[in-house]
Amino acid sequence: MKNVLKIALGILTSIGGFLDAGAIATSSEAGARYGFRLLWSLAFGTLCVVFLVEMAGRLAAVSNHTVADAMRERFGWRFFVFPLTAELIVDLFVIASEIGGVCLALQFVTGIAFRWWAFPVALLIWLFIWSGSFSFVEDSTAILGLVTIVFVVAVVKLHPDYHAIGAGFIPSMPPKDAPSYWFLAVSIIGAVISPYLLYFYSSGAVEDKWTEKDLNVNRGVSVIGMGFGSLVAMAVLVVAAQTLLPAGIGSDRYEQTPLMLSMVLGKTGFYLFAASVGIACFGAAVEASLSVAYLTAQSFGWTWGEDLPPKDDARFAMVYTVFPILAAAVTFSGIDPLKLTLFSMALTVVILPILLLPMIVLMNDEKFLKSHRNGWLSNAVGVVVVVVAIVLSVVAIPLELIGG
Amino acid sequence: MKRLQLARDVLDQQLIDRYECNAGKVDGIGLELRDGEPPRVAFLDMGSDVLARRLSPRLERWLQALRKLIGRKTPEPYRVEWSKVVKIANAVTIDIDSDRDAPNHVEHWLAEHLIGRIPGASREKKKKEPEQHNQ
Repeated sequence: MKNVLKIALGILTSIGGFLDAGAIATSSEAGARYGFRLLWSLAFGTLCVVFLVEMAGRLAAVSNHTVADAMRERFGWRFFVFPLTAELIVDLFVIASEIGGVCLALQFVTGIAFRWWAFPVALLIWLFIWSGSFSFVEDSTAILGLVTIVFVVAVVKLHPDYHAIGAGFIPSMPPKDAPSYWFLAVSIIGAVISPYLLYFYSSGAVEDKWTEKDLNVNRGVSVIGMGFGSLVAMAVLVVAAQTLLPAGIGSDRYEQTPLMLSMVLGKTGFYLFAASVGIACFGAAVEASLSVAYLTAQSFGWTWGEDLPPKDDARFAMVYTVFPILAAAVTFSGIDPLKLTLFSMALTVVILPILLLPMIVLMNDEKFLKSHRNGWLSNAVGVVVVVVAIVLSVVAIPLELIGG
Repeated sequence: MKRLQLARDVLDQQLIDRYECNAGKVDGIGLELRDGEPPRVAFLDMGSDVLARRLSPRLERWLQALRKLIGRKTPEPYRVEWSKVVKIANAVTIDIDSDRDAPNHVEHWLAEHLIGRIPGASREKKKKEPEQHNQ
């Protein structure tokens, strides 16, 4: 029973870390422009993230070290300062995108322009982290996040051609404008593999005092949690392909995105769309803000813990107080939230190798993993992920310029 | 005897004080050079200056210049005598009270002037869990 409860962590992680502004934006755009053709990219990203999350959890459970702790210890400050700085910069834009997503949802419902919501939303994020314990944050986002299942319901109601969906899992050449097709494929992978997820997840495992006994839970959480997030993201893609594509509506203009559910479920669909986007992005913003605080505190050895009263870990609390405000300022500047999201996804892809390569080395270090080092399968997937990450980080910027 | 590698097993490790609180990281290791005898480990170094110096001496000078500019004194480098090291395992345990002894002024300042003043800052977030029984 306790193990079942622990899987809640995975569901939160999947909703917050998997289904976020990036995943929703890239999946709906992929569906609206290329039908089911980019499903393979989503599936590939999911496979990678399942393995990476499992590794982060295993590292924490066996060594009692979070990813940040282990990276600094293993590779030293002179190396660690680079992934640390890169991650902090990327996280600022990621949180700004997530806040932008929540703001857009509020704009859909109230009609008040999104930028005015930026600071109130940041305050709400802070309040959530400030007053909640780790399990409160975990469980409440998980339960609220269940609303996103509406996309799966919409797929069932649309009676899509399941054979055609199946064909989408086999990579195929694009019908037209190849650069934007590939750019979108890269963005999807960037949206699915969120580095903050790994820092967050390993910190959560340490907060929950995982030990080697929890390795099975960890495996279940990675597969079920990430699988759930992926299923919903795929549903978003399929719904967009079934509604926006035939109607000739690109999803590059955010005002039109709610149409994908209101065409299926009417006015209720419109509200459910707003609720799904708002909640998924809010969960991701909470998780990413907390993740920044974990990362900073662990980098410098401060006291940290979401269950402690904020006064007892003042520097940790300071980080999750300041970061959402800075991010809200970016959102408030009025940059198109969709463009901001695609930009931060491309940025994420650029920094992926500098995180993932050391991660794979770490997972083979006996000092940390004892007898639970990576097996051949994890290492094979790890090598593929790193190679793909390097290729993607090189092509991401040129592709954004040509195809974005 | 277990072999200990300073760079691998000590440098950049988490520091834990005598009350099992996080007390920072081992940012540097100081050696004492002695006439006619081999050098020996003297202390653990901590603090932002040490971190800056490890990246580049110029960065350390900039950091000190910046401090001067905003009118702050350069703090004494914080050092933990090697003899205070109690245990080196998953973390480095040192026999100090980090709340009083470690370079914790930022934490204290924040706790007193900023974070501590926000309502709810001292509230226990979670009920103490009863001791867990192993099934």
